[in-house]
Amino acid sequence: MVLRTPMATIPARPSNFPSSVPQSRAQAAEETAAIPWYIWCATMAVTSATVGGYWDISWHESIGRDTFWTPAHMAIQLCGVLAGIAFGYLILHTTFSKQSPLAAASVHIFGFRAPMGAFIASWGGIAMLTSAPFDNWWHDAYGIDVKIVSPPHILLISGVYAVVIGTLVLLAGHMNRSQSKSHVAEQRLILYINGIMLVQMMILLMEATNLPYLHSIRTYLAIAALPPIVLALSSRLTGFRFAATSVSAFYMLFRLGLILVLPLFPAEPKLGPVYQQVTHFIPPDFPLLFIVPAIALDLLWQRTKTWNSWKIAAVSSFIWITLFTAVEWPFASFLMSSASRNWFFGTNYLYYALPPASFLARHVFYPTGPAAIFFLGLLGAMLIATITFRWGLTRGEWLGKIKR
Amino acid sequence: MKFLRFAVPLLCLASQAHAHVGSPDVFLQGKAGPYQLFVTVRPPLTIPGVAELEVRCESPGVREIRAVPLAIMGAGSKYAPIPDALKVSPTDPQFFTGALWMMTAGSWQARLTVTGSQGDGTLSVPVPSFARASKKMQWGLGVILSAIGLFLVSGLIAIIGAASREAKLDPGQTPSESNLRSGRKATIIGAVLVIAIVVACNYWWGYEENDYNQRIYKPLHMAATLNGTDLSLQLSEPGWMQARTIQQIAFRVFTRKMDDLVLDHGHLMHLYALRQPGLDVVYHLHPEQRENGSFVLPLPSMVAGQYKLYADIVHADGFPETLVTEIYLPARSARPLSADDASASTEPWQKASTTNNAFTLPDGYKMEWLRGDKPLLAGQAMSFTFRLTKPDGTAPGDMALYMGMVGHAAFVKTDGTVFAHIHPNGSISMAALMLAEGMPADMQMDEAVRSTVSFPYGFPTPGQYRIFVQMKHGNTVETGVFDAIAALPNSLDTSVGRRPL
Repeated sequence: MVLRTPMATIPARPSNFPSSVPQSRAQAAEETAAIPWYIWCATMAVTSATVGGYWDISWHESIGRDTFWTPAHMAIQLCGVLAGIAFGYLILHTTFSKQSPLAAASVHIFGFRAPMGAFIASWGGIAMLTSAPFDNWWHDAYGIDVKIVSPPHILLISGVYAVVIGTLVLLAGHMNRSQSKSHVAEQRLILYINGIMLVQMMILLMEATNLPYLHSIRTYLAIAALPPIVLALSSRLTGFRFAATSVSAFYMLFRLGLILVLPLFPAEPKLGPVYQQVTHFIPPDFPLLFIVPAIALDLLWQRTKTWNSWKIAAVSSFIWITLFTAVEWPFASFLMSSASRNWFFGTNYLYYALPPASFLARHVFYPTGPAAIFFLGLLGAMLIATITFRWGLTRGEWLGKIKR
Repeated sequence: MKFLRFAVPLLCLASQAHAHVGSPDVFLQGKAGPYQLFVTVRPPLTIPGVAELEVRCESPGVREIRAVPLAIMGAGSKYAPIPDALKVSPTDPQFFTGALWMMTAGSWQARLTVTGSQGDGTLSVPVPSFARASKKMQWGLGVILSAIGLFLVSGLIAIIGAASREAKLDPGQTPSESNLRSGRKATIIGAVLVIAIVVACNYWWGYEENDYNQRIYKPLHMAATLNGTDLSLQLSEPGWMQARTIQQIAFRVFTRKMDDLVLDHGHLMHLYALRQPGLDVVYHLHPEQRENGSFVLPLPSMVAGQYKLYADIVHADGFPETLVTEIYLPARSARPLSADDASASTEPWQKASTTNNAFTLPDGYKMEWLRGDKPLLAGQAMSFTFRLTKPDGTAPGDMALYMGMVGHAAFVKTDGTVFAHIHPNGSISMAALMLAEGMPADMQMDEAVRSTVSFPYGFPTPGQYRIFVQMKHGNTVETGVFDAIAALPNSLDTSVGRRPL
C-alpha cells in the first residue's frame, strides 16, 4: 500500500544531477512496508505472459493457425498492458508528482525518475510492442515462421524478460528499503518471480532441450548457460535455504500442470501438412529434472557462505552438470520408452506437423556422437556453468543491496 | 546493420522461373461432382504463406464450398486439417473466395468439397508450393523501427549507467562523485556490450535471411549442347530442397530428385524452342531421356537462329518444373517432325497486329481466337477459346486428340519473363492432376474431340504476349499464333476474379 507523506527538504546535490524531490529514509521505508499494488500488477503481468507463452506454443503445435487475437496472444499482450499501466504510471507519477512517495528511492534516466525496476520493465514493454510490427514484417519477408528462436520473437521474449527482471528489481528494492523484521512475503514473491523466470527461460531453451536431444551435448550446454543464473540469484537474494529447490520445483510443477491440463481441451489442426493426428491441445515435454541437482546446490550453499564466490561457482557447476547428467540421461531413456507414453509423462503427445521420419516421432535420440566429444562438451558445460553461477551469485548479492 | 538497411522498398525476386516461368497462379476448369468450377489459386510469395483461392461456379445450385490443403502424396496426404469454408461474394452468388495456408514447399493440392442442390462433389487442384522471393522492409516501417531500435539501445545503456550510479544509494542520498564516475564507467561498458549484442544479432539476422534464401525455388539447371544433329540437354541440381544433414533427412519430407521424372501426357519432357528475339519460329518437341538427368533429341529440320528452350518436366510426386536455357541452332536439313512434334513460323511479334483474331495455317486451314469484346487485363482469370476450321470455314471432320487433349497452348510474354504451357483443364500438370485425383500419372485424358478448345488462364503481368495454340486434325498438328496486349486493370472486378498487381 502506498502511503502519502508531506514533502521533505531537498538536500544539496551535484549541479549536473537532475532535480528531484527526495524524502527522508524513514518516510521511504515506511511507505514500503507492504507490497505495493504496482508490484502485484507486474506479477500478474509476468504470470500472464508465461501462461500465454506456453499456451501459444501449444496452440501452434495443436491448431497451427493463429491470428493476433487468439487467447494465447491476448495473455501475452496483457503483460504489456499491465506493465504499461503499472510502470508508466509509476514513472510519470514519480517524475511529475510532488507527492510521490518514491521520489527519494528513484534513479534518473532521460529526465524521468522512478525506481530502477520501472525503467527496466518499461523498456521491456516497448520492446514487446516493437516486436509486433517487426514480426509481422518478418512473416511477409521470410514466411510465417514456425520456430521459436527468430529475431522478432527474441525481441518479444527479451521484452517479457525485461518485465520480469524489472519486477524482480522493484521487489528487491522494496524489500531492501523495508525496515520490517520479516520479509517472508517479499521472499515468497521473489521465489515465485524466479520460478517464472526459469519457466520462461526453458521456452528459450526448448529447441535445444527437446526429448531427442537429451543424449546430445547441446542440452547440457543449454542448461549450463541460463538456469544457473536464476538458481544462484534466487538463493543469494532471498537467503532462503531451499531457494534453488523451490524455484526448480515451481518449474517442474508448472510444466507438469500443463501436461495434465492442456490435453483436456479439444483442438484440431487448421494447417497442413498434418503428419500426426491431433485431437487435443499438445503439452510441452516432461520437465527436466532440475530439482535433483537443485537440492544438492541448496545443501552446498548452506555450507559454503564464507567461500570465495568463484570457488562456490566452480563447485556448484560441477554438481549441477554431473548430477543433472546422472539423473536426466537414464530418465530420458525412460521417456523414450513406451512406458512413458501416458497421461502423466506425456510422450505420446506428438504435434501435428511432426514428420513421421523425425527422431521424436520414431522415439529415438538424435545421434550422440563420439563419447570423447560428449565428455569434452560436458567440461565445456561446466566452464559455462561456472561463469553463469558466478554471475547469478553476484547479481543476487547486488540485488540484495539495491535500494531504488 | 540491418536496422539501417531497411530503406530499400524493393521486392527481391530471386527467381522468376518455376512450374511455368513468371506465371505462378494456378488455373483449373474441372468438375466437382455435378458442378463445373473455374478455380484460381494465387500462391503466396513466401512459404509458409497464404494463397488466395477464387472459385467461379459455372453450374447453378452451389451452396457451400470448403477447401483444404493436402500433400498430393506421401505422409502429408493421410490426415487433413480442418477445411475452411469459402466466402460467397455478396454481389455474385456464383463466386467464392478463400485462403489456403501453404506451410511447406512441395507438391500440394487444394481439395475442394462442394455442397449444393445437386448433391456433393470434390475437386482436387494441384498447387506446387515453393518460396519465390523475400521482401525488403518498406522505407517508412524501416525508419520507425530503426528509431525505436535506437531508443531501446540508448535506453538500455542508460539503465545500465543508472543502475551503477544510483541503485544502491539509500533513499534520499545524493550520488557522490564516485557514484557518478562509476555510472559513467558502467555506461561505457554497457554501451560496448549492447552494441556488441546488436552487431551479433545483425549477423544472426543475416544468417536467417541467408537460410531463407536457400529455400527460394531454384529450377533444375539445364545445359544445352549440339552434338552433330542431336541436341543434348543435361540437367543438374543447383541445390534446392536437398536433405544433407541428419536433421534435414528426418524433417524434410519434400526433397527434389532428378531420377523420379514421370510421363506427362505421354512424354517425360515437353520442349518448346522459341526463336529470339521475334518469337517468329516455334517448335514443340519431345527429347528422350538416356539416363537420369540426361536428355537427347535428334533435331528435325529447323530454321537457323538463337533459340530459347523451355522444358516442362514433372516429378513423381506431381511437382512440375519448367527449365530454361538458350542455344544457337544452325540451319539444317534433317528428319521431319515426328508424330507429336509441331512447329510454326510467322512474322516477328514486333511486326504483328495485336488485334488479329485469325491465323491462316500452311495447309489453308484457319485458327480463330474467339476473343470476345472484353478487354484483356493482367491478373484476371478467363477462358481463351480457339476454333479450327477448314479452308471452306467448316469444322474439320477428322479432329484428333493431340497428346491426349483437344489442344495445347503456350503463353509467352515478348520480353521473355513469362512462359506458360496450358492445357484445356488449365495451367496444372496433367500428371499432377492424375495423382491428386488418385489416377495413374501417365493416364490419357478421355475427351470428346471438338474443333473448339478453351484454355483457362490469366496473364500474370501487363505487357505484350504471343500465344501459340496447337490442335490436331488427321495426322496434322496445327499451330496458330496470336498476339495480345494485357492491360493493367484500373478497377477491381471480381466477376471472374482478379487481384491487384
